[in-house]
Amino acid sequence: MNEVALALGWVGIYAPMALGAIGSTIGCGISGQASIGAMLETEGGYGRYVGLSAFPSTFVIYGIVIMFTLNREVTAANAGGLFGVGLLAGLALIYCGIWQGRTVAAAINAAKEKPEIFGLSLAPAAIVEGFGVFAFVFALVISGGIAGGAL
Amino acid sequence: MSQADAYVMLISSLPNPESLFRAKRPPLSRLKLDQRLRVLTAEDARTLKLVEGALDWRRLPIDAAEGDIIARGRRALAHIDNPTLQRIVRDRLEIRSCVAALRRRARGEGPPLGKPWGFGRWVGHIERNWSDAGFRLDGVFPWLREADGLIRHSDAAALERLLLQQAYRRLQRVAGSHTFDIEAVVIYVLKWNIVNRTTRYNRVAATRRFEALSRSGLGKQVDLF
Repeated sequence: MNEVALALGWVGIYAPMALGAIGSTIGCGISGQASIGAMLETEGGYGRYVGLSAFPSTFVIYGIVIMFTLNREVTAANAGGLFGVGLLAGLALIYCGIWQGRTVAAAINAAKEKPEIFGLSLAPAAIVEGFGVFAFVFALVISGGIAGGAL
Repeated sequence: MSQADAYVMLISSLPNPESLFRAKRPPLSRLKLDQRLRVLTAEDARTLKLVEGALDWRRLPIDAAEGDIIARGRRALAHIDNPTLQRIVRDRLEIRSCVAALRRRARGEGPPLGKPWGFGRWVGHIERNWSDAGFRLDGVFPWLREADGLIRHSDAAALERLLLQQAYRRLQRVAGSHTFDIEAVVIYVLKWNIVNRTTRYNRVAATRRFEALSRSGLGKQVDLF
């Protein structure tokens, strides 16, 4: 039982990084495809499409920071806390990555037809980023209460 | 990548058409559209062909009977697994059935009882409400009375315009919930077909107007040419 708890503790430490990476990969994949499609149809401004498609990459960075914050000696006392905070933060990051990729793809698709809405079309992606930042910041805050911090 | 994001690149590479009846030409040529559609999987390409085949009357033989058209629609629906695309095909065929009934009534005929003449949920309802101008379908097809008036006045151009507008609107409504999936691709192609038809009409009208203007400008000199 103790070994299972310790294993879950390690899962919790690595989960934000792994799930954040998956979210960023899928998100960048979706938005990257949209930017390639838009390049086929437009005559210029390719750089901004490629730049936009990198938006979802922030979630892996948040995941790395959470992973380092949670990283400590795993004991039976703190394994549950590490698992809960790490896994849920990771799930939030993966969803934010995928959905930000979709919103960026929609923004690219719309802005290629109507360049004047380029800035405004990014608002949904910025809102999704905001939710990702909430998950990130409060994972850091809550991890302060888990035993054995600051390795 | 999920089914919802299957065709992000394809959809992003397709230019949106201008609003219906304002577009002077389709947003891209059919050749270019077909080139872009090459990224569809074999199954999705087959589905698109089925949907287009079921809805494009130009692909029907000129002497096709109503029964053949219904059978063709049913065959297509049997092979389309996607519920949204099934709904699109069914909707369009139902609209055509309503218009076929309006035409039949305008010719002074009664409901063709016992013979296959229409498609979908409203066939029996139309037969029962044959004498009502809109077949008591105003809640579902509020434009039926207008279409009835246009048929009675033999205004084929305005009727065609009304029907294309309704078909386009219905596609727009479904398009709202499909951004980058196969449904979005099929909806784009169907919208392209509608825009292509309207722009061809515009070209024909423009040619006629040009000829009329040329004739009036040349006046009596027209006999010289």
